[in-house]
Amino acid sequence: MMPMKRMATVDRIKIDSVILSSVFQIGDSQHIEGRSNALAVQREAEIFFGTEGEYSSYPIFSEPIAFQPEMETIIGHTHTIHPFLKVRNIDITGVSSSSIVHLGNTCNVLLESRVKHIRHLLPRTKIQQ
Amino acid sequence: MNFQVYNRDICVGDIKIIGVSSSSLLLVGDADTINLAATFDTPAESLIVGPFVPLSPKI
Repeated sequence: MMPMKRMATVDRIKIDSVILSSVFQIGDSQHIEGRSNALAVQREAEIFFGTEGEYSSYPIFSEPIAFQPEMETIIGHTHTIHPFLKVRNIDITGVSSSSIVHLGNTCNVLLESRVKHIRHLLPRTKIQQ
Repeated sequence: MNFQVYNRDICVGDIKIIGVSSSSLLLVGDADTINLAATFDTPAESLIVGPFVPLSPKI
């Protein structure tokens, strides 16, 4: 079902930062695939060891994510009467960790984000002194 | 699923977004299939009370 794709027209777009393998795409694309793995460690004291953290030691980074069935049977038709998508202003502060701002058409998009949160607290006795 | 789509005018004024993060997508356009998935894990053992021991080192 290859419907006639529409034209995206954006008058003005302002993006302050695009970091950590994110993409700002103007124009069409065919296939988009992105993964983001993060170990979010919050510690009560400012200690950073620098060479720690190994994704393979946590199952969350390897277990499969239950996706819906890939393709439902969709019978139907797209009638494009006005083939334009008009946006006047877009104002974005940040695009981060393999995210995508995409102006234009695409076919398949598969994006995945896996975060392991860890909290390190000081022993309660140390705090009362 | 029977699906009839009539694409008429879509005109948006202003879009203000603070953050597009962790495998998110802001799409101004058409797409055939979009699969977005996010999983995060904070089980009980993620809360560690005690001296700061570095996590398992990078191999």
